[in-house]
Formats: sequence, structure tokens, C-alpha cells
Amino acid sequence: MTYPILILALVCAVIIIAEHRVYRMIIYFGIFSLIVSVGYLLLGAPDVAMAEAVTSAFSTIFFIVCVERYYNSERNTESVNKKTKWFGWAISLLLTAAGFVVYLLFIPQAEPAEFLKDLYLTRFMTDVGGENSITAIYLAYRVYDTLFEALILVISVVAVVHLSYFVGSTPDKGRRSEIERSGMTAFTMRLICPVIFIFAIYLIANGHISAGGGFQGGLAVATFFICRYLIHGIYDLPVKVIVRLEEVIFIAIVAVAIFVVVLGISAYIPDSILPVYRVIYLIMMNILIGLKVACGFFVLFYRFITIERR
Amino acid sequence: MDISMFSIILFFISFFGVLFSNNIIKTIISVLIMQTATVLFWLTLNVTGTTPEAPIIYDPALLDDIQIIADPVPQSATITAIIIGFAVSAIVITMFNSMCRQYGTADWETMERLATGGVD
Repeated sequence: MTYPILILALVCAVIIIAEHRVYRMIIYFGIFSLIVSVGYLLLGAPDVAMAEAVTSAFSTIFFIVCVERYYNSERNTESVNKKTKWFGWAISLLLTAAGFVVYLLFIPQAEPAEFLKDLYLTRFMTDVGGENSITAIYLAYRVYDTLFEALILVISVVAVVHLSYFVGSTPDKGRRSEIERSGMTAFTMRLICPVIFIFAIYLIANGHISAGGGFQGGLAVATFFICRYLIHGIYDLPVKVIVRLEEVIFIAIVAVAIFVVVLGISAYIPDSILPVYRVIYLIMMNILIGLKVACGFFVLFYRFITIERR
Repeated sequence: MDISMFSIILFFISFFGVLFSNNIIKTIISVLIMQTATVLFWLTLNVTGTTPEAPIIYDPALLDDIQIIADPVPQSATITAIIIGFAVSAIVITMFNSMCRQYGTADWETMERLATGGVD
């Protein structure tokens, strides 16, 4: 079952590269990400599949918001379907073939190391606790990765807010796009909204014993807020407060991680309450990461909507 | 065929897209596909069989046959990679948006001509 899904993903990638109409390209990219996330699920990575599915949904929205503007400015000036010259084709094909040959010739086909896999899988239940080894790795064994990832998300939110800065940051209240005026969409979102929120809480709270965790749950929380936004259309949200909240949560994540993992507090905890303490640590980190990711993604979405509206 | 070969082919398809495209949005999407290929390569690196089990150990007896469980190390690394990739793509889309507003085009050559003031 894995091979047909991956072949389908390859076909979809070829279609994207061959497509020259921009809207179709973006929709095909969403389909491609969906197929690839099913492939991840079949490869035994449900957490990665969830993250990929939700981020691809977000990036599809962002691309469409962006392209709407591009089409408006470009429609009258030049043709989108510009033909590429034949030597462009030839040089691109030649370079790609050369790269592939270089890969086949020069990359050593060594056996992958099993050491870390065996070590983590056999020891994470006594070292960290929980049943999901992925959560155990990114919250305890490799917590520095998670900290820097959180830092990069903060930086990207600040960069997007900075790059899309303009005077008078709230757009007209009267202008609503096609999807927001549709009663059917609003009704469906009203139905789906609470389900998404309950699912997000489930993902965050159960991140240490089943598939899911802070990142995926945070993305689902952001999706919930975006649904609320599309239903009610609140335009005067305090973006600066949300950005500041995200930074505070980031500092809290760093503080908790340093306090618990780097200083090694668990060595001084008595054995009787150690399992409870570990579960509390995992749940607390998942909640903090979920809140941070939700804040960041909601700010990104809000900035993109205001870009579209001005 | 080795299962990690799919990700290599996907990588080179998107490489061709990056070289070949003259539209900025297509270039961005090609780079995102390249990132997906990298993630797929990590996940297929240490796989025996085609459908391994997820590394969620609800029963310690599962650890007796550790070969059929997927490797958790690349998975935890690629979750953060996916989120970072999305953050970077958001920055890239925002930059494209402001450039598009200034020059009114999404074509590489036209934008270069406009940005350099008509001097090729």
C-alpha cells in the first residue's frame, strides 16, 4: 500500500511542475501534501502525518490569499502562460540528470545506524515516561531542538508582522470575501468548530500517550480560532498582545526546559512521586508548546488576511 | 526498488521545477516540495518492510520485535522541520507579496528588468 501512495505523490509532483495555471498549481499542491501525509501515516509516522496535513492546509490558504492579489494586479499587464524557450528546458533537464547521476555515483550506500533507535525505544519509558516515544524524544532527549524550533517560529512571526507592516492596520469592516458571505460555509463551520476544539484539547492532553502533541494540537487550536474568525469576522483583534503573549510563552518554555531537563531536577525527586511528576512535565510542556504554536499561527493568518484586505 | 528512492526522485523533480520555472509562485512551491522530499527521505531511511508500526509503545511486549517499529529519531526531528519549513514559507510568501505589490508581476525576468530599471 505504501508504494502506490508514493507513486501517486510522484505523479502529483510532476503535474505541479508541468502546470502553468497558478490556482490549479496551488490546489494540486494541497492534494500532493494530503497524499504525502497518507504516505507518512503508512510509514509509521502518525505525528508527522498530522503536522504535514495541517501545515499544508495553512499554506494552501496563504498561497490563495497571496495569489488573489497577484491575479488582480497582473491580469491586465501580461500573460501568465508564458512559454519557456527550448534551451531553458534542455539546460534544466541536463542539470537535473547530472545531479541524479552524481547522487547515484557518489553517495555511499551505508547501513543506517540502529544505535539511537534501540537506545531511545528501550529506555524512554523509564527515563522520561509516557508511551509516545516521539514526544519523549522532542521533550526530553532532544529538547534543544524544540527550543530552537520555538525560537524560529517566534522570529518568523515577528518577521511577517514587520514585512507586512502598514499604516492603519485594521481594514474596512464592510468588506468580506466570498467565502465569508456564504451562509452554507458559516453554518458548516459552526458545526465543525466545537469538534475541532475538543480534538485539539485531546491531542494536547494525550500527546504523551498517543499520537499527537503540542505542535499538532496547537495547529488545531489555531484552526479553531480561524473558523471563529470566518464565522464572526472580528477585525479588531489585538495582534500586538498576541505576539507579546507568544514571546512570554516562549520564555516560559525555555525556563521550564532549563529547570527540568538541563538542571536534572528529576534526580532529586523521591521515587514515589516520580511518575506523576514526569507526566505533569510532559503535559505542561505540551500545553505551553500548543499555546505558542496556536498564537504564532493565528498571528500569521491574521496578517495574511489583512494583507489581502488592504 | 529501495523505498528511499522515491524521495530522491521527488527531490530531483522539484529541483527541475526550481531550475525550469519562470514564475515565482511555482519556484516557492517547488522548494516546498523539495522540503517534503527531504522529510520523506528521513522517514524512509531506516525502514524494514513497507509498513512499519508507529513508535508508540503502549505494551512493552512490542519491544521484543524492535525491527518492525519505525525509527522515532527522524520522526521527532522532522516534526520540528515541518513547522520550521512552514514558518519560512510564510516569510517567503510575505516577501513575495510586498514585491508583487511594488512591481506588479510574478515573473522572474520581468521583475528583474523592473528592479534594475530596464538595464539588462
